[in-house]
Amino acid sequence: MARRSFEVRRIPGFGAIAILTIVLLYVPILILVTFSFNAGRSQAEWEGFSLQWYRAAFANEQVQDVSIRSLWLAIAAAGIATVLATLAALGTTRVGRFRGQTLIYALVNQPLMVPEVVTGIALLIFVASIKVATGYMGMGYLVAAHTAFCIPFAYLPIRARLETLDLNLERAAADLYASPVQAFRHITLPLLVPGIAAGFMLGFVISLDTVVITEFVKSAGQDTLPTYMLGQLRRAVTPEMNAIASLFLALSLVVVTAFFLVSRRRGA
Amino acid sequence: MKDGSDGTATDAIEIVGLDKVYGQGAGAFRALTGIDLTIRSGEFFTLLGPSGCGKTTLLRVIAGFENPTEGSVRISGEEVAHLGPNKRQVNTVFQNYALFPHMTVAQNIGFGLRMLGRSRTEVAATTAEMLRLVRMEELAQRRPAELSGGQQQRVALARALAPHPRVLLLDEPLSALDLKLRKEMQGELKRLQAETGITFVFVTHDQEEALTMSDRIAVMSAGRILQRGTPHEIYHAPTERFVADFIGDTNFLTVPVVSVEAGAAQVELPGGRTAPARLPEGARPAPGAKVTVVIRPEQARLVPPGEGEMQGEVTSSVFFGTDTHVHARLTDGQDFVLRRQNAGELADPSPGDRIGLALGDGVLRVLKD
Amino acid sequence: MRRRGGTLWNWLLSAPALLVLVLAASGPLVIVLVYSFLSPGNMGGVAWEPSTDAWFRLFFKRDIFDPEVVTWNEAHLVVFWRSVSLSLQTTAICAILGFPTAWFIATRAPHRRALWLFLITIPFWTNLLVRTFAIQELIRNTGTINSLLLRLGVIGEPIQMMYTDFAVLVGMAYVFLPLMVLPLYAAMDKLDMRLVEAGYDLYGGRLQVLRHVIFPLVKPGFVAGSILVFIPAIGAYVTPRVLGGGRTMMLGNLIELQFGQGRNWPLGSAMAMLLLIVVVAALVLYLRWANAEPEQRNG
Repeated sequence: MARRSFEVRRIPGFGAIAILTIVLLYVPILILVTFSFNAGRSQAEWEGFSLQWYRAAFANEQVQDVSIRSLWLAIAAAGIATVLATLAALGTTRVGRFRGQTLIYALVNQPLMVPEVVTGIALLIFVASIKVATGYMGMGYLVAAHTAFCIPFAYLPIRARLETLDLNLERAAADLYASPVQAFRHITLPLLVPGIAAGFMLGFVISLDTVVITEFVKSAGQDTLPTYMLGQLRRAVTPEMNAIASLFLALSLVVVTAFFLVSRRRGA
Repeated sequence: MKDGSDGTATDAIEIVGLDKVYGQGAGAFRALTGIDLTIRSGEFFTLLGPSGCGKTTLLRVIAGFENPTEGSVRISGEEVAHLGPNKRQVNTVFQNYALFPHMTVAQNIGFGLRMLGRSRTEVAATTAEMLRLVRMEELAQRRPAELSGGQQQRVALARALAPHPRVLLLDEPLSALDLKLRKEMQGELKRLQAETGITFVFVTHDQEEALTMSDRIAVMSAGRILQRGTPHEIYHAPTERFVADFIGDTNFLTVPVVSVEAGAAQVELPGGRTAPARLPEGARPAPGAKVTVVIRPEQARLVPPGEGEMQGEVTSSVFFGTDTHVHARLTDGQDFVLRRQNAGELADPSPGDRIGLALGDGVLRVLKD
Repeated sequence: MRRRGGTLWNWLLSAPALLVLVLAASGPLVIVLVYSFLSPGNMGGVAWEPSTDAWFRLFFKRDIFDPEVVTWNEAHLVVFWRSVSLSLQTTAICAILGFPTAWFIATRAPHRRALWLFLITIPFWTNLLVRTFAIQELIRNTGTINSLLLRLGVIGEPIQMMYTDFAVLVGMAYVFLPLMVLPLYAAMDKLDMRLVEAGYDLYGGRLQVLRHVIFPLVKPGFVAGSILVFIPAIGAYVTPRVLGGGRTMMLGNLIELQFGQGRNWPLGSAMAMLLLIVVVAALVLYLRWANAEPEQRNG
């Protein structure tokens, strides 16, 4: 073997550990997906290709029910959170320091710092007393809880985008006779769209991923896909769960890829 | 000194007693102090000064991006000090151009007219006219990111000119371009100004750019206007040390006054000979007082020792091709630089050579203290 | 162009988001704090009688027959210790695997780095339950690993991996690893390779350069990564519940228990506050550290 020349960036063994780590990250997921196509029930023995578990998953009314609920909850929560986060970002970015700014930052970022289980039981207590007081048992609680949880994630990319916007562009618009409203509508908002889209997608993924808060807040019959899966995992599961998980994975993959493409688009 | 103008209706911009202060109390920063300025209609006027002198702030006050703390700003006779930028008939060419990245070249140029609510046909016609004016017809549908620096510059100009402003403000518009392109755009700017007849207010820190392009120049430092005048006046008759130092190379000599007459003084040069020096307006130094006189390096000639008004010894000479800079120490120890044109193949003087220095007639100027 | 009266405008724009956050995130935390100082109700919930009993019972218990005899509440302490221990071990595993991985990515050709980074990011954005389920399918008694080993004849009967500390550790390291790699990568990406060259130029060996040049310069990324892993690990609920079951509870599961079968809301509230205190303490220590050495953070 030829002697390797000295390479400053190389540290012996690091490459091997890195490759091993990345392989380890993917092996469990790949096995999960592989056996979702298995004709048999085994997680180890390949018994032929089959879509039967996907057929079973699609036919399962409960799965349909929780999936639809998860999706619309994620769209609603991410949508509301994105609007609120955009307003908050406009209110807190590119302005001089003002009184209470730190408080706003702390409040906005608080859901990132507090463990989900703590937020979960806090909401459990709070929601329980509201339910007693008002009798309202609907999805409003979950929408509110998910929205609050999505706000910091939506806020981050919107604020980042806003900070890179050249203030001179709005000055130029004003110089060219645009009123503040026109400048916002024709310049700021169109340039903010990639940040807003990224914020929405992050919020969407986060809402879909949220299980602990949902578990504590939901009323009977308000299961989402994650809480349904959590409940099912206690039993001996069939590869139908592999199929559901694989579909879930595919959805995340689509959103994450879209997110990357949007956030890498610069300028235009 | 007040401006030469008397504030008639032809003045494009009239600024009186303008102050701009940022912050309050002990942390306050005075960006502009006591600015009085009149810019005539159709003028190419330049605000010249080092970075941080307040020239950009002054431009931004005229544009409406900053409100003045004190004083009045009139554009074509109308008081605008507290009007927003969208209510003023002035347009700006930004230093980094600030082209809207999500719009095409044509959309950028038409933006101002669209905001003014002009008809579609008028917007289209003016945009086409502007594209022709800056020779960008081919690239109308490109995005700014697909343009070179020079092309972006032209679009920024066209965009600011499209609404036919009374005044065009240019904030160091050439600073991002390389030398060759900068020279080209200087000519382009002069041409555009001549063709449109619009008043240009140009901000730069480049003295050569200011001298070659302007009708008049105001030199600024530390938030004040130190001197204003034509490029000739600024170069040949600087009244302040800062102006003389900032523009071109200058020799400063400290000399005693012998006698004073109307507008001029006899001063005693190093070596004992006297020469006339023009006094700045209003100055009347007492005989015997020390004053600073300035003289440009090309205003002195190299002559054989014993001849000329001053004598010195060469300390070094630096060959620049078209000319040679001769550094000399005068008889009283003051340093002097002389620039000799290399018309023929002349030998450069060597260190230690004794030389005479002849001054042109009336080239000495006394500075304000 | 600063708007005059800007502060009011800033608050108005932020108000809707703040309202939702206060109602559905921050505000309820205050209720938890209040509840932790009340007495438990008969059927769950609370009785409005002030009491510090819940905080006392976090660590101690009274003898059933003689209330004067106070002993350590070992059942709780075991769970607390497991939480801290597993979280620290998770952080350590993530660091050992994450450091070389981040270095590997940071030393790829610039246009390839985004792709490698994307590979790390995909699992990060994949649903936590999906990833936990994937681990469960690997390690359960009839799962991939045991079935394979049985077939190969390496073992005679399945190895019990599910419902052990080991399972929880593997699961948490697996799900939190990207949180370590990403900040480490960010720090290494900024690292000026000429400094590493200078280290070798001045006769440093591989290990010496690693220890004296690279490691101190990427330490901010390392500390940030450790915080990012430790905080969700100490508050973990899903992973220990699925992989650990009832026998290897962590603090998150113990808290939930008080609101379910335990029916002791004040005790659960006090536990939640304890968890919050640990997390905030970790964050405060981190922020102090980060602010204390700003010159190192620029790499």
